[in-house]
Amino acid sequence: MSRKNKESRGIAVMEWLAEFPSLDRRELSNMKKGIDGAFREFSRAYGEGLEAFFYPLLKFMVWFEKLLQATPWPIILVVVAGLSWLGSRSVKVTVGAVIAFIAIGIFGMWEDTMSTLAIISVATIICIAVGIPIGILMARSDRLQGLITPVLDVMQTIPSFVYLIPVVMLLGIGKVPGLLAVCIYAMPPIVRLTNLGIRLVDRDVLEAATAFGASPKQKLWGVQVPLALPNIFAGVNQTIMMALSMVVVASMIGVQGLGVPVLRAISNQYLALGVMNGLAIVALAIIFDRVSQTFGKRLQAHRKGHH
Amino acid sequence: MKMTKLALAALGTTLTLAGAAKAESHGECGAISIAEWNWASGELMANVDKIILEEGYGCEVTLVPGATTTTFASMNEKAQPDVAGELWINAVRDQLDNAIAEGRLHSVLDGPITELGEGWWVTPKFAADHPELNTVEKVLEHPELFPNAEDESKGAFIGCPAGWGCQLVNANLFRAFDMEEKGWVLVDPGSAAGLDGSMAKAVERDQNWFGYYWSPTAMIGKYEMVLLPFEAEYAGDDNWNGCIALAEQDCADPKPTAWTKSEVHTVITDEFKKKGGPAVDYLSKRIFPGAIMNGMLVYMQDEQAGGEDAAFEFLEKHGDIWESWVSPEVAEKVKSAL
Repeated sequence: MSRKNKESRGIAVMEWLAEFPSLDRRELSNMKKGIDGAFREFSRAYGEGLEAFFYPLLKFMVWFEKLLQATPWPIILVVVAGLSWLGSRSVKVTVGAVIAFIAIGIFGMWEDTMSTLAIISVATIICIAVGIPIGILMARSDRLQGLITPVLDVMQTIPSFVYLIPVVMLLGIGKVPGLLAVCIYAMPPIVRLTNLGIRLVDRDVLEAATAFGASPKQKLWGVQVPLALPNIFAGVNQTIMMALSMVVVASMIGVQGLGVPVLRAISNQYLALGVMNGLAIVALAIIFDRVSQTFGKRLQAHRKGHH
Repeated sequence: MKMTKLALAALGTTLTLAGAAKAESHGECGAISIAEWNWASGELMANVDKIILEEGYGCEVTLVPGATTTTFASMNEKAQPDVAGELWINAVRDQLDNAIAEGRLHSVLDGPITELGEGWWVTPKFAADHPELNTVEKVLEHPELFPNAEDESKGAFIGCPAGWGCQLVNANLFRAFDMEEKGWVLVDPGSAAGLDGSMAKAVERDQNWFGYYWSPTAMIGKYEMVLLPFEAEYAGDDNWNGCIALAEQDCADPKPTAWTKSEVHTVITDEFKKKGGPAVDYLSKRIFPGAIMNGMLVYMQDEQAGGEDAAFEFLEKHGDIWESWVSPEVAEKVKSAL
């Protein structure tokens, strides 16, 4: 009798071990429904306020996109060449950038490229404006670093489709939700590398600055940030790259640009259309990359020259 | 048993009988693949087919996830998957006609779901607030009621996501009805999630929404969206197939027209038609009533149920419907597996 009991208990334990004791379906579904319901309430209560908050940003983005699209193409080419030259001081990079834009124009992707350029530029500016201060704060406080690092991990690894749903419920489809989606993914590198750059500044240098009687503010802006600039620039560069890689995802919630034809190509197996627009995104990325990298390198070279 | 065999014999040719007897006795209809569409009713139907064909007819079923054009291209070129349960043929009509004419594909059922269709919809609140604006043409005169977030002087018409067959149709109808001159912008929602999200957000926040959607869907069932009829008559297949359904550059002069009647078929490959036996019979008989389907779709969304869960729910709750699609023996087998 007792043996039988033991045996059946043994079987029960085996069963219990074989399958993870999860919540049952009803509880799980109630929980999911509860969360969804709470979010719906939140969206009803605060959605309009949030939209109003982002309204100036939306107006700016619409204006900027229209500006880029309305500007005659020769002027854009000149501006592209000028910026590439200013950034890189390299004939190769400048000529390459101009040729890439001419190719984009010839293959009929000019307008979409301008839209993409508009959202990527705004996204980069916002990421830099928000990311660098966060990175500086992180570098100054270990506790803050401990708090923010996992948040950055989540931002970089969570599948973007997961946060597209709440973003669309709150803000609808269009430029602002697209921009948010891009920034969630693209901001972590600039924060991380700003933090890292400042933390890597030589202690001896800082000590010397203290010895000369520099205030904390002077130390930050006169010593730490300038010495961290190459790292910060690597962060800017990475942020731009990641923003560009989000172009297609942003198009899934109604952002105009090179992502739209890519989506069209995916659902219809238009090989050429997909490759062409994909390569246009790559071309933009390479231009941004080379210009910002050579700019960062020049900063470094400049610093070495002084020592 | 004898009675059913007699009944079967009366129904089918000797060939199907032989196939049926073989399949039922040995439980073999072989390995088949079924397209599992990336929308809810398609998922549900694919899973119902899977369960019934596996439990009732002894098939080995794999589900192949995909979208209309991609999956159809694979069926057309590679004869894989074998079964497309809910194929919206408007998007692939020419290729399908060719394939059927060449005997590579067969349509075994016209309309696996009743009362379905595409069109232009508004929110129930809008329909209640503006009972006088009860046709597409009347709504088109009032773009100011649907301000576009990015340019409030224009009305937003939410079209179809990039790459879907309906994107071309919406873009051409947009031109046919001179909507640009009337002050409308055609908004590309980018994806199914974008389209659903924009509709859900509008209904939840009591905003107006005017755009493309289709039924049967949980979205239509859940938000009780209102389909607007067109005043324009259907202007003929030449206009629709020769212009409206084509890319913009191939459609120089689109004429205003009502939406074409949606045709949804169950399409199978030639190979499966030959070897499938009674399984093919089943596919040619299973018709979901539209109201039941909408109800199932709302269930799927409320419970966040996947196609498989929903299929079990359907088979448990709606025995009266599916048992008429199969023989009593098959029904018993399926029931015992639930």
